[in-house]
Amino acid sequence: MTAIAQGTLGHWFTRNGFLLIVIALFLFFSIVTQHFASVANVLAMAHTMAPLVIIASGLALVVFTGKLDISVGSIAFLSSAIAVLLMHDAGVNAPLAFLAALVTGALLGALNGFVVVFLGINPLIATLGSMIALRGVALQLTNAILIALPESVRGLGNATIGGVFVDVIIAAVILIVVHVLHRRTVFGRRLDAIGNGEDNAIRIGIPVPQTVFLSFVASGFLASVGGLIGLLQVGAISSYLGKGMEFTAVAAIVVGGVSLFGGRGTILPGVLLGAFAFTMIANGLNQMSADPYAYKLVTGGLIFIAMYVDALRTRRLRRIPIRPPAQAAS
Amino acid sequence: MIGAALEMTGVSKTFAGVSALEDAHLSIQAGEAHALMGANGAGKSTLMNILGGIVAAEGGEIRIAGRVASIASPRDARANGIAFVHQELALLASMSVAENVLIEDLPRRGGLIDPAAMAARTQPLLDRLGCGFGPQDPVEKLGMGDRQMVEIARALASNPSILIFDEPTSSLSAREKARLFDVIRKLKAEGAAIIYVTHFIDEIFEICERVTVMRNGRIVGSGATPDFTPGDIVKLMLGDIHQADRLRVTPAAPGERVLTVDSLSAGGFLDGVSFTLRVGEIVGLWGLLGSGRTEIMRAIIGLDPIDAGAIALRRNGALVPVSPHEAHQSIGFVTEDRRGEGLLLPLSVARNVSFGNMAAVAGRFGLIDRNRERTLATGLVERLKIKLNSVDQPVRTLSGGNQQKVVFSRWLASSPPIFLLDEPTRGLDVGAKSEILALTVQLATAGAAVLIASSELEELMRVCDRYLIVQRGRIIGDLGPDADRDALLAAVSETSASSPTLSSVA
Repeated sequence: MTAIAQGTLGHWFTRNGFLLIVIALFLFFSIVTQHFASVANVLAMAHTMAPLVIIASGLALVVFTGKLDISVGSIAFLSSAIAVLLMHDAGVNAPLAFLAALVTGALLGALNGFVVVFLGINPLIATLGSMIALRGVALQLTNAILIALPESVRGLGNATIGGVFVDVIIAAVILIVVHVLHRRTVFGRRLDAIGNGEDNAIRIGIPVPQTVFLSFVASGFLASVGGLIGLLQVGAISSYLGKGMEFTAVAAIVVGGVSLFGGRGTILPGVLLGAFAFTMIANGLNQMSADPYAYKLVTGGLIFIAMYVDALRTRRLRRIPIRPPAQAAS
Repeated sequence: MIGAALEMTGVSKTFAGVSALEDAHLSIQAGEAHALMGANGAGKSTLMNILGGIVAAEGGEIRIAGRVASIASPRDARANGIAFVHQELALLASMSVAENVLIEDLPRRGGLIDPAAMAARTQPLLDRLGCGFGPQDPVEKLGMGDRQMVEIARALASNPSILIFDEPTSSLSAREKARLFDVIRKLKAEGAAIIYVTHFIDEIFEICERVTVMRNGRIVGSGATPDFTPGDIVKLMLGDIHQADRLRVTPAAPGERVLTVDSLSAGGFLDGVSFTLRVGEIVGLWGLLGSGRTEIMRAIIGLDPIDAGAIALRRNGALVPVSPHEAHQSIGFVTEDRRGEGLLLPLSVARNVSFGNMAAVAGRFGLIDRNRERTLATGLVERLKIKLNSVDQPVRTLSGGNQQKVVFSRWLASSPPIFLLDEPTRGLDVGAKSEILALTVQLATAGAAVLIASSELEELMRVCDRYLIVQRGRIIGDLGPDADRDALLAAVSETSASSPTLSSVA
């Protein structure tokens, strides 16, 4: 019964294959470079990926509903820019400025949610619009120049507790909270339910518009958190903040096994693993002194494979088991 | 006698000025299953959607256990003890059985979902339904029958007094159906009032105490099931059939065989379908909704996968076996769904005709020649008497009948030898219907073999030379041109228990 053997092997691979790839890559980089497998380097990778995992975990909440938010990079940029300008130009103190950034992120997420849910615009198009527009607003506000953070907060980005970067701890806490939100709250279960088919969700009586709206608010809020962490790491706002982050985040989510069709995937380990894979590839190739452009080719290939596996998995599940005709008779 | 569990009186509903439901009344007793029957568009769904809080009624009154209830949302319906088991299962495939069953009211502790409580609440429901799977199993791993049980478990989770089953058996096997009926009997014994919506007449005699038949938005009959014969119910469903003028003289001698279908079977929907089409004949595919008419046509041209069977087409004077995809090349397929079959509504009539006839409109360098395109379209428009101002007019602006003619014109240009017409006149007015039927006769006269399905028997009787009787995905009979209305009605009223063995299937 080769067909069955292939089926189960294929199934096993679609479920666990990605973990194997991550482990294999990790071993590969450990062998070919000297410092890759060191504790210091692993901590450094965790530090680097903190903004990405935070933004990706928020975006994943939208993706669970089968929708997409590609404005997260611009929201990260605009909300951080507002924090910097408040501190730099208006002399607002740091905690208040950061709070303002977080509120901005949530409001911009609400704007996306409003456009998608109440104006009924396709989420990809709606957030493509806000991705372009919000980055434009931020560039205008900052005149596209580098503005340094005030002295008082400049060191925060590299602060450590017991050798671990503070932002790594923040990212870990957020991942756990979002994971619990997804798996263990009514809101989280509703996201998956909507991702299984909006028509079904409506018929069951799930408040689809409100739930989708909230997922965009959460995505915007976490984008601003990720933006602030990124800002603190750099120590200044630059026009590059969050640029391309939306695509890296989508890629991390998809590679981590979250289906863009909605309804399946996990924050832990899924999104964490996906984000780690990209960070690890960048770090490993860097340590191999590989051509920096090779990174793009490798990540592109990885995204393609992940999408193909997602499509395979979805296609198989669409083939609803129908009973054999022999049984139908009688 | 105790009061009815549910009493609907004087319920009406209009959609865009068209009356979908008029003065409907329905009375359901606790501990009984009440069948609700009717052809497509009879108003069953509207009535049930009003009860389910999906559609708002205009006027009328709903009483539950004697008390007036107002049902404005699915939530209200649930609060009133009404639960719906949908025909298309509203299941969340990637989630667990327990999550599916309790999704409307997930048990929480301290704000977080409590997995232990979820399993503890789901397991007794599964036990009650005799399910062999557990609360943690993912729904996507279950078969159709088990999925149906999950849907029922969800309905039972709110402890309803009134359960609506909307065509629950349409995708179940015989064994799964028997299990479902056991469950329904058990629910009745526990005192639930059950509304059972179905197209299958034999089922209502098996499990329903009472039956209500609807037609054109009205209740046309209601009473105890034993007081009706299957024939009575079909007559109530279809109403008076006015014998309209026949548009066709059946040819004396049948032509050569042009299509043979042998033992076509597909995943529980089709079961050993065999028949032959001959040159120049119009064959009616006659069966009630859900009998497998559409499925037969779709399987032949490969729109749905088949599990077994052979199809042969006449090519160069001999019947050669072909795959469904190859068959599609030689078969014109027209359905009620004009957009679904590829009519591009925003585009002009001429451009719509060109699709499928690209070779005929291609000019130099393979580019489309606008003049040829217009000439082709104009010729067909005249031939089919399509009413329009210009062939450059968007198809969207045409009436339904004329849109359907554009579909036909596209096929005429390539003149396939076989046509499969699935409810080609659905939704058209009387005049347009006659024109489409006349067109069908023209096709056959010109030598095409036509297989036509319709819910309206009088339409088939105007054009068909022969009738294939379809029931439960099987062809159970073959009647000649002399078959009258009563014979045709009787043929589809046969319950499967008493259905005759296959009569001569050509």
